[in-house]
Amino acid sequence: MKCMVCDREAVEKYCEFHEKAYRNVVQKFEDWKRATGVSWKQYLEAVLENSFTGAWAKEVAEQLLSEIE
Amino acid sequence: MGAPMKKYTLIITEKPDAAKRIAEALDRQGKPKKLKENGVPYFVANRDRELVVVPAIGHLYTIVQERGKRNYYPVFNFKWAPRHLAERSAKNIRMWVETFSKLSHDADEFVSACDYDIEGSLIGYCILKYACGGKEDSAKRMKFSTLMKSELEKAYEQPLPHLDFALIEAGRTRHEVDWLYGINLSRALTLAAHRWSGRYSTLSTGRVQGPTLQFLTKREKAIRSFVPTPYWEINAEAEILNSVVEAEYETKRIEIKVEADAVVEACAGKTGEATKVDIRTVHEKPPIPFDVGTLQREAYSLFGYTPRRTLAIAQRLYLDALISYPRTSSQKLPPIIDYKEILSSLKRKPAYSKLASKLLEKEELKPREGAKEDPAHPAVYPTGKLPEKPLGVPEKRIWDLIVRRFMAVFGEEALKESLKVHLDVNGHSFFLRGRRILREGWMEYYKPYVRAEEVLLPPIKEGDKIRLRRVSREDKFTCPQPRYNPASLLKKMEKLGIGTKATRAEIIQTLYNRGYVRDERIVVTELGFDVIDVLGKYAPMVTSAKLTQELEGKMEQIQNNRVKRETVLEEVIEQLKPQLEQFKQNEEPIGEALTKAIKKAQTQERIVGKCPNCGTGNLTIIYSRKTRKRFIGCSNYFKGLCTTSFPLPQRGTVKPAGNNCRACGWPQVLVWIRGRRPWRLCFNPDCPLKSRRKKP
Repeated sequence: MKCMVCDREAVEKYCEFHEKAYRNVVQKFEDWKRATGVSWKQYLEAVLENSFTGAWAKEVAEQLLSEIE
Repeated sequence: MGAPMKKYTLIITEKPDAAKRIAEALDRQGKPKKLKENGVPYFVANRDRELVVVPAIGHLYTIVQERGKRNYYPVFNFKWAPRHLAERSAKNIRMWVETFSKLSHDADEFVSACDYDIEGSLIGYCILKYACGGKEDSAKRMKFSTLMKSELEKAYEQPLPHLDFALIEAGRTRHEVDWLYGINLSRALTLAAHRWSGRYSTLSTGRVQGPTLQFLTKREKAIRSFVPTPYWEINAEAEILNSVVEAEYETKRIEIKVEADAVVEACAGKTGEATKVDIRTVHEKPPIPFDVGTLQREAYSLFGYTPRRTLAIAQRLYLDALISYPRTSSQKLPPIIDYKEILSSLKRKPAYSKLASKLLEKEELKPREGAKEDPAHPAVYPTGKLPEKPLGVPEKRIWDLIVRRFMAVFGEEALKESLKVHLDVNGHSFFLRGRRILREGWMEYYKPYVRAEEVLLPPIKEGDKIRLRRVSREDKFTCPQPRYNPASLLKKMEKLGIGTKATRAEIIQTLYNRGYVRDERIVVTELGFDVIDVLGKYAPMVTSAKLTQELEGKMEQIQNNRVKRETVLEEVIEQLKPQLEQFKQNEEPIGEALTKAIKKAQTQERIVGKCPNCGTGNLTIIYSRKTRKRFIGCSNYFKGLCTTSFPLPQRGTVKPAGNNCRACGWPQVLVWIRGRRPWRLCFNPDCPLKSRRKKP
C-alpha cells in the first residue's frame, strides 16, 4: 500500500517519514488546545500556515484537512 | 636542462611552493637554481653539498584493484600504484613519477621534507618506495611546523634518522580501509542502480561519508516532521530618568495565551519598585589558540568561508611562510616558539605595532592554551613574517584573524560588570539588565573579531520607583533544531570522532558533489534519504558512527605501535563480507529504490519554480524528444491543464537559478556558456526590465 501523501510504501496509513510527522501533528494538538483553545480544523490550518512547520508535517496537515472538508 | 651529474641529496616536498621555500632556505646564497624535467619544476641548492629539492603535487600514489573486473564486488585485492593509472584526471602524475625516478638515480642521500603529518609522511614514503626504488629505509626525515628559514635549516641539520614508520603505517591503513569500504559499497550502490535501470549514475558512500550523511538525515527528518507549538513572551520598557530601558519578564515563555494577556493587563503603564540590585563582576579568559577546527569555525562565522575554503587559504598562507602548519589539532603554543621574536616582527606592521609593543612590554608572555594536543605540530600561529606582496582579501582576512588571535591568547583576562535590577510591578517580577566592560584585556587584541555590546543603565538603587511605559505580548512559536551548516557539521564530526582534520572538509564537499545534500544550510535531498535508507536496511554498520569511531581508535593504536595494520585490514574485510553478501542478495529492490531516487533527484534539479500562469504546476527545463531542443514548460501540460512554455538558449548549460527576478518576480535560470561569465536570465517575455531595455 502506498502512503496517503507520497508514493513511498506505507507503514499503516503513511510511509515511515509521514507517519512520524502524523504522530507529531496529533500529539501537538493537545498543546495548542491548552494554549489557545483552537479546534482541530483551526489547528490544522494554523499548522499549515506556520513557517516553522516541517514539510512532511505540512503535507500531513493538508491531507488531514482535506479529509475534514 | 639535464640533471646534475655528481652525487647529491634528494629532498622530497609535498608541493612546489614548499620546494621553493625549502630550497631558498637551504641554499647558501638563498638563490637556488630552478630547473625543469618533463615540465616538472625542481630546485638545486648548494649548502654542505648539492641538494636537489623536488616537489610532489600531493599524493602521487593511490590504491587500485590488483586484478579482476571493474564492475564487480566484493573486491579485497589491492596494491599501491601511480595515480595516473587509476584516475583519468591525473594524467600529469606520470611526469612527476618519472622525474622522481630519474633524479633519484644520481642521489646518494634521500630526505623527506613533506608536511609532518599522516598524509605528508605517506606521500614521502610512497615516492621513496616506489618512484625512487626502495629508498624508504635509508631516507631521513625533516620535521618542521613553519616554512621559516631558521626552522628549515634546523630541520635539515638535525633530521630524524629515519621516516616516521608508525605514522606511515597508520596512514596506509587509513587509505586502505577507506578504499575497501568506498570501492565495495560505492560499487554495490552504483551497480544495483545500473542493473535495474541500464543507466550509470555515480553513487558513493564510505566509512565516514555514510555516518555523516546518517546524522544529517536524522536532523533533516526531525526538521521535516516538526510541528511548532505557540508560546508568548512579554516585552516591556521601563522609564528611568528620561531614558528607556528594556525590561525582561520573570517567565521567559508563557505557554497559555490568557495568562500572557493577564500579565499585560496587570502591568502596562504601572509603576513598580526596585526590590534588589545585583552587581556581579565576571572575569573572561582569553581565547585559546587556533587548531584547524576552531579556525575553520571562526572563519565561517565571521566571513562565511566554508571549512574547505579556509583550509585552502590557510595552506596558501603556510606556503608563503606567513603562518605555521594549519592542519593541526593542537591548541598549545609551546615556549619553543619564540613569542617575542614573532611579536617583534609583527610590530613592523602599523596595524599591529601598538598591540605587539604592548605585549612585548609584559614581563612574561604566557599564552592561554586549550586541552587538545597534536604530537606533530603546535597550534596555528603567525610566523612573524610579513607578506612580501599584497595579499588577496580572503588571505588577508585569515592572516589577520590568526595574527590577532595569537596576540589575544597572551592578553589579560577581560573584566565585565553585569547588573541585574529586580523590579516588582503589581505582583509580577521584571528584570533590568546592564553590562559594561571594566577592563578590555585580551579583547583589545582580538578586535574587530570580538563582539561585546555594552548596555549602560542609569544609576538605580533599591526602593526606586520605576514605571513600565510599555508592556506587550509577543506571539512566538517553538523552532525546529537548526540545519547544519558546513562549519557546525565539521564540529559535529569532530565531536563524534569521525574523519580526520585533513579529510572532514573534503567529505562534506563529496556529499554536495554526489547530490546527497544541497544549500549552505544543509538540506538532505531525496537521493540522500534513499541512499541512507538502502544502507540502513542492507548494510547498517556502514552508517554507524560507532564503527567509524572504533576504526579511528585502531588507527591511533597503529600509530602508537599497539596494533598491526594487517590485523585491522583483516577485521575490516570480515566486517564487510556479510554486508556485501546481503547487498548482492537484495540487488533488485536496492536498484529499484535507488533508480527511483535518482530519477526524482534529476527531475527536481530541473524544476525552475512555480508556474506564474496556472499557479499549481512547476516550470521545468524540458528537452523535446522530436527536436532535442530545450525549453521551459509547465508540468501541468501533461495533465492537459496548462500550455505555458518559454524558449531557452540552446548553447551552454542552463540550470535553475534558485531565485526570482527582481523586476517581475518570475523564477530565473542560470546560463553558462564557455568562455563567458554565467548570467541570470529572466524568461518572462513581458518582464519590465526587458521592455525598458527595448525602449530607444
